Amino acid sequence: MCVEVEENTACKNVKIFKEGRKLEKRESLWEAYLRRGFSRRNFLKGCVALTSLMGLSTDMLSKVVEAAETKPLPVVIWIHGHECTGCDESFIRSAAPLASDVVLTSIALEYDHLLSAACGEPFEAHLDETIQKYYGNYILAVEGAVSTKDNGVYCMSGGHTFTHLLQKAAKGAAAIIAYGSCSAYGGIQAAKPNPTGSSGIEHFVGGKTVIKVPGCPPIPEVMTGVVMHVALFGTVPPLDGDGRPKQFYGNRIHDTCYRRPFFDAGMFAENYDDAGSKAGWCLYKLGCRGPETYNSCGNIRWYQGMSYPIQSGAACIGCSNSNFWDEGPFSTRLPAYGKLGDVDKIGAGLAAATGIGVVGHAIASVIQRNNRENLLEEHEE
Amino acid sequence: MKAEKDVKRKEYYLFSPFLRIFHWIMASQIVILFVTGLLITKPMDANSTEPTFTLMSMDLVRDIHFLAAFIFTASLILRIYGFIVNKGDRLFPRVWEGHFYSETVEVALHYMLLKPHHAPFLRNPLARMSYAGLYAMVAVEILTGFAMYFMNSPFTTGGKLFGWVNTILGSEMMTHYVHHYVAWLIIVFALGHLYMVIRAEFMEGESEVSSMFSGKKILAHTPKDANELE
Ligand code: HEM
Ligand code: HEM
Ligand code: SF4
Ligand code: SF4
Repeated sequence: MCVEVEENTACKNVKIFKEGRKLEKRESLWEAYLRRGFSRRNFLKGCVALTSLMGLSTDMLSKVVEAAETKPLPVVIWIHGHECTGCDESFIRSAAPLASDVVLTSIALEYDHLLSAACGEPFEAHLDETIQKYYGNYILAVEGAVSTKDNGVYCMSGGHTFTHLLQKAAKGAAAIIAYGSCSAYGGIQAAKPNPTGSSGIEHFVGGKTVIKVPGCPPIPEVMTGVVMHVALFGTVPPLDGDGRPKQFYGNRIHDTCYRRPFFDAGMFAENYDDAGSKAGWCLYKLGCRGPETYNSCGNIRWYQGMSYPIQSGAACIGCSNSNFWDEGPFSTRLPAYGKLGDVDKIGAGLAAATGIGVVGHAIASVIQRNNRENLLEEHEE
Repeated sequence: MKAEKDVKRKEYYLFSPFLRIFHWIMASQIVILFVTGLLITKPMDANSTEPTFTLMSMDLVRDIHFLAAFIFTASLILRIYGFIVNKGDRLFPRVWEGHFYSETVEVALHYMLLKPHHAPFLRNPLARMSYAGLYAMVAVEILTGFAMYFMNSPFTTGGKLFGWVNTILGSEMMTHYVHHYVAWLIIVFALGHLYMVIRAEFMEGESEVSSMFSGKKILAHTPKDANELE
């Protein structure tokens, strides 16, 4: 199944990078390729890969090439909050485009908590410099949630809370990308009882649009695809109502899953070691969250299309969903309440109790009426 | 006591055919929706049979659920139309009238067997509250149901019309939970409702059950809310 993306939205959108301000000359992607001695053929191949990755149709290729030839590489500031940095682990495994290509040639990554070699005061000073120099023109990539409890002391770097850093960096950002379920929705640390008050970044960026790229972690190619879209076209990709790029989050796993025919036929694995599981049947009864999860696992898959959790035999846990961490257990469709069991058990119990209650009430009503009539008759006599 | 035949009775025309047809569509479709709904959450075990030859494929169960859902939702038009054209098809309990509350308490006390009887009504205020409650639950089922249904293509009109339900509930899984939990509440209502209807017929001399077929109640007493029909 394919996502419908309005094909020319990429060009129609208002440009987000401020023009007018004279910046120092920065390379375009083509110039970067030239400097590294790559052939034109190589460059065009790269553009084809990018085009399809961004979910655009092939007639957009000329636009992509044009952008790659002329657009200066965008400056990216990449900051990390309340998280495990697993998203970075995913990002550096991007194959098309190679993460190294993105970092080294396609974007100018000026500041990154995790990938930068520099550290200490000069590093922090460099951040301030970058923000000033490219004010209104850089892309802000955010990984990790905001910690809101106790003035944000649970997540600090460089002597400041992450909230402070985020607000500072967001002010001058041309576009903000929230990488991972943490920065989109709060993440694992936001699970009940959420001791650190972890929350998504949306409400801490001064009302700017946040491009949400949820997932725990997001698919590598999705991460690079989104930043490349912003970089090349200077526009926010088409987003759904929740702020997620349509081309990657427009379908449920369930509606793109290759095991779907087994679901429709009613062929379910009951256990992870039964015949159905070995035969590759649907994992619905093992708690699969594919039916309510929006992600590209079913079509792009992971690690150069090698596999994805369901293909490897594990039920989807809905890692790109806004509240997946509190919707356990992952192994069943319905939560259970201790000895009471799940709602089907409780409901059946409730129905049985209602039945018994009804019979009891009926008997009592009859007795009451008979008493009343006896009284009345006595009265009449 | 006088023989049943000798009692003088008056006919009250209450339910329009639209409401009656709607009621029976609703009752039948809710049973279908409930059974197929539970089967969707916990599909029958196909391991022991050759799935190709089973009739109860997941696809079929879901299609039956969706068909019943469409019929049910469409039939609500009958209810609304009846409400517009017929005074007897009252939709809302008259909570804006002061006597409503004392009457509700009286009926409740009687049902708790603490009072020997309550004043007669065409439809007593407690029952009318329970129907309003049922319609609220039905609204939840329809909203959550279509929210799940249409999100296989979120950017179509249907997705845009109902997608906000998932946003409000926080996640689409929560939509499933709510849909499922409320389904059980509806069944509990139905059980109680069935009992109360039959009870009213036999215990209180209301011609209750037949009224949902004929639209009329033929009563020996004068109900308190008879004026609402005028
Ligand atoms: C799933 C099952 C059922 C549901 C959800 C249901 C729901 C309702 C609702 C909402 C009303 C109020 C109608 C209105 O004025 O808007 C009603 C009335 C009524 N229902 Fe049902 N019903 C169900 C099954 C039945 C059955 C099986 C019977 C037959 C024995 C029945 C008999 C009646 C009668 C007689 C009334 C009129 C009550 C009155 O006079 O106030 N219902 N029902
Ligand atoms: C009184 C009415 C209804 C009842 C009692 C009912 C009951 C149920 C139940 C128990 C489930 C299983 C929930 C789960 O755990 O996933 C379900 C699923 C569902 N129902 Fe309903 N339902 C009703 C009305 C509707 C309506 C009006 C629609 C609208 C199309 C609808 C659409 C769905 C959908 C899309 C699913 C999920 C199917 C899936 O996950 O494959 N339902 N229903
Ligand atoms: S394995 Fe999961 S996503 Fe795939 S068809 Fe089954 S329920 Fe749907
Ligand atoms: S299959 Fe589900 S849980 Fe696994 S990575 Fe994809 S969205 Fe996350």
